[in-house]
Amino acid sequence: MERKMPNYNIFHAKVDDILAENEFINADFESATAEEKESMVEMHKSVSYWKDAIRRFKNNSVSMAALAVVILLTLFAFVGPYLIPYSYEEQYRGSMKLGPFEYSESELLAKEALADADVLFYTELMPGSLTSLKKGDYAFSYKGSWYLFTLKKTLRSGFLMYNESKADPLYTVKEDDYLAGGDYETTAVTYTVSKDKPTSEDITIIKMSSSIFPHVFGTDSAGRDIMSRTMYGARVSLLIGVVASLIVLVIGSIYGAISGFLGGKVDFIMMRIVELIYSVPDVLIVLLLQVVLMIPLQNWFDTSTLPIVRALSSLGVGIVSIFITFALLYWVGMARIIRGQVLMLKKQEYVTAAIVLGASNTRIIRKHLLPNSIGQLVVTTCLQIPSAIFLESFLSFLGLGISAPMSSLGSMCSDAIDTITVYPYRLLFPAIILSLLVLSLNLVGDGMRDALDPRLKK
Amino acid sequence: MTSYILKRIGSALVTLLIVAATTFFLMNAVPGSPFVTEKSTPEMIARAEAKYGLDKPLVVQFVNYIKGYFVGDMGVSLKMQQDTSVAEIIFNQNKLTLSARIGAYALVLAVVLGIPLGCIAAYNRGNWLDGLLRVITTVGVAIPGFVVATTLLVLFGVQLNWLPVRSGSLETASAYILPVFALSFYPSCYIAKLTRASMLDAINQDYIRTARAKGLKTGKVIFKHALRNSLIPVITYLGPLAAYIITGGFVVETTFSIPGLGKYFISSILNRDYPIIMGTTVVLASLIIIMNLLVDIAYKLVDPRISLSKGDV
Repeated sequence: MERKMPNYNIFHAKVDDILAENEFINADFESATAEEKESMVEMHKSVSYWKDAIRRFKNNSVSMAALAVVILLTLFAFVGPYLIPYSYEEQYRGSMKLGPFEYSESELLAKEALADADVLFYTELMPGSLTSLKKGDYAFSYKGSWYLFTLKKTLRSGFLMYNESKADPLYTVKEDDYLAGGDYETTAVTYTVSKDKPTSEDITIIKMSSSIFPHVFGTDSAGRDIMSRTMYGARVSLLIGVVASLIVLVIGSIYGAISGFLGGKVDFIMMRIVELIYSVPDVLIVLLLQVVLMIPLQNWFDTSTLPIVRALSSLGVGIVSIFITFALLYWVGMARIIRGQVLMLKKQEYVTAAIVLGASNTRIIRKHLLPNSIGQLVVTTCLQIPSAIFLESFLSFLGLGISAPMSSLGSMCSDAIDTITVYPYRLLFPAIILSLLVLSLNLVGDGMRDALDPRLKK
Repeated sequence: MTSYILKRIGSALVTLLIVAATTFFLMNAVPGSPFVTEKSTPEMIARAEAKYGLDKPLVVQFVNYIKGYFVGDMGVSLKMQQDTSVAEIIFNQNKLTLSARIGAYALVLAVVLGIPLGCIAAYNRGNWLDGLLRVITTVGVAIPGFVVATTLLVLFGVQLNWLPVRSGSLETASAYILPVFALSFYPSCYIAKLTRASMLDAINQDYIRTARAKGLKTGKVIFKHALRNSLIPVITYLGPLAAYIITGGFVVETTFSIPGLGKYFISSILNRDYPIIMGTTVVLASLIIIMNLLVDIAYKLVDPRISLSKGDV
C-alpha cells in the first residue's frame, strides 16, 4: 500500500485527504528485535498491594530492627518459661532476695553435688512443697527411660541423686550428711525402670536437673524468680495488647462503617455518641471501672458454667476488666478513622454499582467498604497494641490492674519501688522489657503505616 | 464568636455532668455497702447508710449531690477522714496545692523545653543533632511514664544520691526536681516532635520564601514567621497535655511518695469512699474540661483561617 499524497488546499480541505495522511503503511513499521521483545515483557511485572507494602516495610531498617526485637520478646514471653525451671508464682524458700546470677545456699550445694551424680533433684525446687519431698511414688525420665521409684521416708532438705556408674544408682542424701562428707541412703528408695510414661495419677512426676539454673534476674523478697515473672508479665502484656486491639478493631470498624455508610441522622447521632466518649477524661473513669468490675466479674466467674466464661476466668479478673474497659471506651478512635474512610469510599463507582445490583447494606460494608479500608484497619490496630500495653501497665503500677500472684510488668515495677534503695535491679528488668516492648511495637506500627498507607507518611 | 463560646461552654457543662453521672452510677454499681467490714452488723451498716443518706434511691442521691455542688457542698468523707467535708479535704489540706504545683511546673517546663528543642531539630534537619533529638523524642513518647519516673529515681536518687528519693510534701527545692522533670518528660518530647514537624511544614511555605527574599535575617524569619505559625498544633495539644499532667501525676505522686490529690484519689477508689471519689473526679475532670475549652477558644482566636461565623463547631 502506497501513501496517497494529500491534495492540500487550504480552502477546500477534504476529510478523506486528512484521514489518508494519518494512515499508517507497512513502511512506517519495523519489526522488533528479540531483545526488545524481552525487555517489554520484563518491564510489566505487576506488583500487588501487599507485595508492595512488604517491600516498603523491608526497606525501612528501623522498623525491621523493631520487628526483630518484637519477635525476640515474643519468644522470651512464650517460649522462655519452658526453658527455665522456675515458675512465676512459686516462692522458693531459701532463694529470697537473690541478686542477678546468684545462687541460694542449697543451689550452691546442689551444684557441688552434681560432681557426684548424673542428674539430681534438690528439694528446694519442688513445686507446692515446703522444701521437702514427701514419701510416696514418683517418676522421672532420664535418657529416654522412665524411672519409677517409691520414697519410703520423707526427704527434708536434701538431694535425690542418680548416678549410672554406681551399683545402686538412685539414692538420697540429706543436706547435713552431705556437708559432713556424704552418707548415702540407698535403702530409702526402691525403683523400677520402664519405657513408658507412668499413667497412674498417684505417681508424681518430678524433673531431675543435670545443671543448676541461676536466677538470671535475681529473686524478689518472697523468693520468686524475677526472670520467670518478667516472662509471664511480658506474656500478659502481649496478650492484653493483642486481644484489646482486636476488640477495638471489631467494635470500632463496625460502628464506624455503619455510621459512615448510612449517613444522615444515624451518622449524626452515632457521631455525637463518639464525641461524648471522646470528651470524657478517660483515665478517671477507667480507674473507677477497674474497681467496679472486680466484684461482679468474680461472682460471674464463680457461678457460671459456660465454657467461655471458664476460659475467661482462667485469665483472671484484672485482665478481663481491662478488655471490658477497651470495649467500652477505646473503640472511638478506630470508629472515627473508619468512618472517614467509608465516607470517602462510598462515593466510588463500584459501591454505586453494588447498590444498583441490589446488594444489601451489610454486604456492601462487608465486601466492599471494609476490605478497601484494610490498610487503615491494620495500621490502627497495630498502633493500638502498644497503647493497650501502656494502659495495662499504668493501671497495674497504680495497684488497680493485675495483682499478685499473677505477674504484670507494671505491678512488678511498683513492687520494686518499695525496696528501690536496696535492690534497684528489681525495677530494672521489668522496666527495660516493658519499654523495649512498647517502643518496638510503636516503631513497627509506624513502619506499617508508612508501608501500607504511604499517603499518611509525614 | 460569643455564640461559639457559649455553645462550647454549654457542651463543656454537659460533659462534666456526664462525667459526674457516670462516676456516681459506676461506683454505686459495686454490690454491697461501703460500710461492710469484718465486724459490722446489719444494724450498724443500716444506721451508717441512713446517716449519710445512702438509703435513699440512687436518683435522689444523685440529684442531692448535684444540688450540693452548686452551693459548694461536696458532702463529707465516709471512711478515710470520717465526717470531714470533702471540699475541706480537697482544697484546704494542701493536697490540691501539692499536685497543682508539680503539674503547673511540669506543664511550663514541657512547653519551655519542647518548643526550643523542636526548633533546634527542625533548623538542623538531617544532621546529627536532629538525629539525636529524634531518637530521644521517639523513645520519650513511647516508654511509659512510670518507667521514666522510676528510672530517674534509681539514677539520681539511689545510684548518684544527688536528689531525695522521697519528695514528701515538697518542703525543699530539690524535692521538686525529679517529680517535675519526670512528669514533663513525655510532653516535652511530644511537643518537640510536634514543633519540629510543623516547623518543617512552615519553612516550605511561600510566605517564608517571601520573608527571606525581603532580606530578613534568619533569626527573624524563624521567630517572627515560621515559629508563630507552627505553634498552632502545639496550642491544640495543650488540652490533652492537661489531661496527661493529671493522670501522669498519679504515677509521679505514687513513685515519689508525694501526698497529693492523685494519690488520695487512687486510695479513695480502693476504699470506696463515695463522696471523695465524686469530689475528686469532678474537680479533676473540670480542670481537664476547662483546659480543653480554653484551648478550643484560643485556637480559634489564634488562627484566622478558621472561620467562626459559619457556625462549624
